Amino acid sequence: MPIEIPKDKWPGSVRKVTVGATAAEGGTRAKTVTVGGQTTMPYLQYEALTPNTPVVAIEIKSRKPEDWSPLLVETWGDAMSDPAQWAKKAEEAGADLIVLALTLEDSADDAVNAVKSVLSATGLPLIVWGPGQAEKDNDLLVPVAEATKGEKIMLGICEDKNYRTIVATAMANGHLVQARTPMDVNLAKQLNILITDMGLPADRIVMDPTTGALGYGIEYGYSVMERLRLAALQGDAMTQLPMMVTPGFEAWKAKESKVGEGVPEAWGDWAARGIHWETLTAVALVESGADLIVLRHPESVKRVKEAIAELMVTA
Amino acid sequence: MADHKVTFTIENNTDPVVATVSTGTLLSDAARLAGVEIGQPCGGQGRCGRCAVRVSTGNVRRRSTLRLSPQAIEDGYALACQSVVEGDASIYVPLQEKIVRNLTTDRIAAEVTVPADYDYLTSQTFKRIPLTLTPPNMDDQTDDWSRIQTALRIQASVDKVNVSLNSLRYIGKMLRDCEWKVTAILETDPSGGPARLVNLLPCHFKESDPLWGVVIDIGTTTVSLWMVNLITGKVMSQVAEYNGQIARGEDVISRIIYASKNGGENEMRELILDTIDRLLVKACQRLNARPAEIVKATISGNSTMMHLLLGIPSASIRLSPFITAVNHLPPITAREIGLHIHPEATVDCLPGVASYVGADITAGVLSSGLDQTEDMTLFIDVGTNGEIVLGNRDLQITCACSAGPAFEGAGVVDGMRATNGAIEEIWIDGETYEPTYRVIGNEKPKGICGSGLISLLSEAFLTGILDKAGNVNLMLPTSRVREGAHGAEYVVAWGMETGSGEDIVLSRVDIDNLLRAKAAIYAGFTVLADQVGIPLESVAKVQVAGSFGKYINVEKAVQIGLLPDVAWDQFEFLGNTSIKGAYLALLDWRKRQQIADIASRMTYIELSADNTFYEAFTSALFLPHTDLSKFPSVVEALKKTP
Repeated sequence: MPIEIPKDKWPGSVRKVTVGATAAEGGTRAKTVTVGGQTTMPYLQYEALTPNTPVVAIEIKSRKPEDWSPLLVETWGDAMSDPAQWAKKAEEAGADLIVLALTLEDSADDAVNAVKSVLSATGLPLIVWGPGQAEKDNDLLVPVAEATKGEKIMLGICEDKNYRTIVATAMANGHLVQARTPMDVNLAKQLNILITDMGLPADRIVMDPTTGALGYGIEYGYSVMERLRLAALQGDAMTQLPMMVTPGFEAWKAKESKVGEGVPEAWGDWAARGIHWETLTAVALVESGADLIVLRHPESVKRVKEAIAELMVTA
Repeated sequence: MADHKVTFTIENNTDPVVATVSTGTLLSDAARLAGVEIGQPCGGQGRCGRCAVRVSTGNVRRRSTLRLSPQAIEDGYALACQSVVEGDASIYVPLQEKIVRNLTTDRIAAEVTVPADYDYLTSQTFKRIPLTLTPPNMDDQTDDWSRIQTALRIQASVDKVNVSLNSLRYIGKMLRDCEWKVTAILETDPSGGPARLVNLLPCHFKESDPLWGVVIDIGTTTVSLWMVNLITGKVMSQVAEYNGQIARGEDVISRIIYASKNGGENEMRELILDTIDRLLVKACQRLNARPAEIVKATISGNSTMMHLLLGIPSASIRLSPFITAVNHLPPITAREIGLHIHPEATVDCLPGVASYVGADITAGVLSSGLDQTEDMTLFIDVGTNGEIVLGNRDLQITCACSAGPAFEGAGVVDGMRATNGAIEEIWIDGETYEPTYRVIGNEKPKGICGSGLISLLSEAFLTGILDKAGNVNLMLPTSRVREGAHGAEYVVAWGMETGSGEDIVLSRVDIDNLLRAKAAIYAGFTVLADQVGIPLESVAKVQVAGSFGKYINVEKAVQIGLLPDVAWDQFEFLGNTSIKGAYLALLDWRKRQQIADIASRMTYIELSADNTFYEAFTSALFLPHTDLSKFPSVVEALKKTP
């Protein structure tokens, strides 16, 4: 006997956001990436198809990071000392976008050069992060935004205490912004209001509700993302934005992936464990509605993309 | 343990005073023993830094110096509430901050209207009865008290009457001195129980003689007292004074902490009794009356004030699960409390609902009429704590939210009480960002009071100086926005305009405090409305009690999202509803019964146990609110600004 599955019809939908611009669109990217557009909860393909496949970005840094797990250093090798090389390897590893994180040691010139070298090394759309200190972020991101006008780069990371300069330069130079808030539906919504109040169109914002790694608060992140998506589908305009999260950053700071010695034997092989940690964190977040996830290990990228492909299968 | 001599030298005072105390005594306790006044607005927790004194010589151990600068410590300063005596010491006490007294008295108070249906004979439980007794003789050996009881039965149909030992001690002489003609003041029991002899006066009364009752509202900050002639129901005198406990803590929490310390409870009780005594003397002087003629006192106030007055331990009010010792108090005699009115006078302490919803609110609801109306009404009393009642004649629910003292000017860098020198209203030009302000008392400004802060926050928001999260926009073309010691700030008055010569600013920290305060209150509204199942905007009336409502500009309060966005004519400003409710209860035993009903029926929501509160709070932590659709008038106002 056939069973009729009840279907929800929602009044709201998620906006589509496109990162990167091809030559025809005023940039230099070989392709662009579009996320969002959902009209129902994640992967309920029988209610409505998921219009855009979630994408994976690989995080690289303008300088070789000192605090990354030895497992990551081993994998990326010498490429870590050259952002252009690193970006190329990331593209080969299957990345849909590159996240280039600038560092506190970078001058404005260093930052612009690093961004330009990455843009010439790959055709992928780019996300650029400041080093994470309000003043320094502004000092670096403004010249980067000006030097890459029209590329539709995503600039990050806007927070409620420091968004104005980044948004202003994104508006002036045709870029997008990443809006990060600490795991709270209201705070996410508030930052989106602040940014759109400045005049940046909502389809140039991707919200980052922050997450925790598996075992380190992922359930909070999961629940906030789920509630944000429900609010969006119910018609709350200021939550109708695609979501991005950074499970790579979170998972590789967990003890389970960071530490190889002095841990219980039952924990098993370190390298396998580190990749599992990142992959499981990422896949759970994809299932909660993440549109763009930022990873660090190439093997995780492969596995997560496989998982996404399976989720996208329609009956 | 060794005894030490601690010598206090007070600024502007030539005679030092000495206290002899044992090792480990707090300097603040030593000062109290020596009779030296040192204010402790935080209740002696070492958090406010206002009790700093200088140790000139001797041995003092500083347990905490949290609020002292390294320079001050080097100069010998110590916090009196955090420093213990370990040897002889000589202490210099700087001049203590004086509270400017600027309170409502009957010279400026509005006359109180006597309820139209007031009839002393039916409304009042007090009766005065002229008695003419047959003197005893060798044949009539009836005792004095039986003789009075018989007279009461025959001449006034009072069947059963109780008397205290205290009264029995003087009636015999009184009867003989005034040749068996007396006036009995009885308190009757409307439910039919025995009456009680409260006072026996010589001779028969004259019709024009007053019978005095008093209502007292014990506020955390202000104590108000009305003298009422129970015969006419008229309020004959209104006096007010700051609560003497202020020096031992500005808010209820600090006072509970102070009271919980050794001897603190007694000291707190004496401080409030002293305040009331002073008010009684003041009120009586004007009327040519004596406090001992007052036969009834009805007292309102929050639960903490009630506990402190009665010397009932209050510590459990502060600690989870926040329980009072008692909400409904039985009638008590003035002698038991130590109130200096007639010792047999009845003191009626009105009932509260919970630790943070006290008699001030139940009395307030009575006087506001919320419990009698069909319309869904929001009643709010905003002070350090915001108490909120939502309901109508069918149901009433209540909660208390801790707004903190931001709206009373505390916890804000340039905040101050609403006294002389306080900026009370501000307007900002949307193009030049230049402010215009009004100062209380036409002085140079010293700081900003609560109403000024609300007005400032609203103006700064509407002119774009602040974004919706309260961030100061440093990109504006004016030198009034700048990076300050506490983050980005807006300069309200330059040093050359101010009393102190220092700039008066609105800093990031202040903005955060104000936002939290207003969000806590609005979240309280939201939680109550959710419980009742109505949208907050659909309440028919918003009743604002307390002096807060008297001074704030409603439009501004709505613009920052402190008050719900309902039409102007739906707001009502009621003033001190606590004392008005107590007054109605003093006059009419049926109203007193009604307050007891209100207190028993009202449903209390403990917000710290409510899982929707936090969500409502973060949602309200925005200007005016994360959900703009709740504030249509603000959306309109924002459209009109550049």
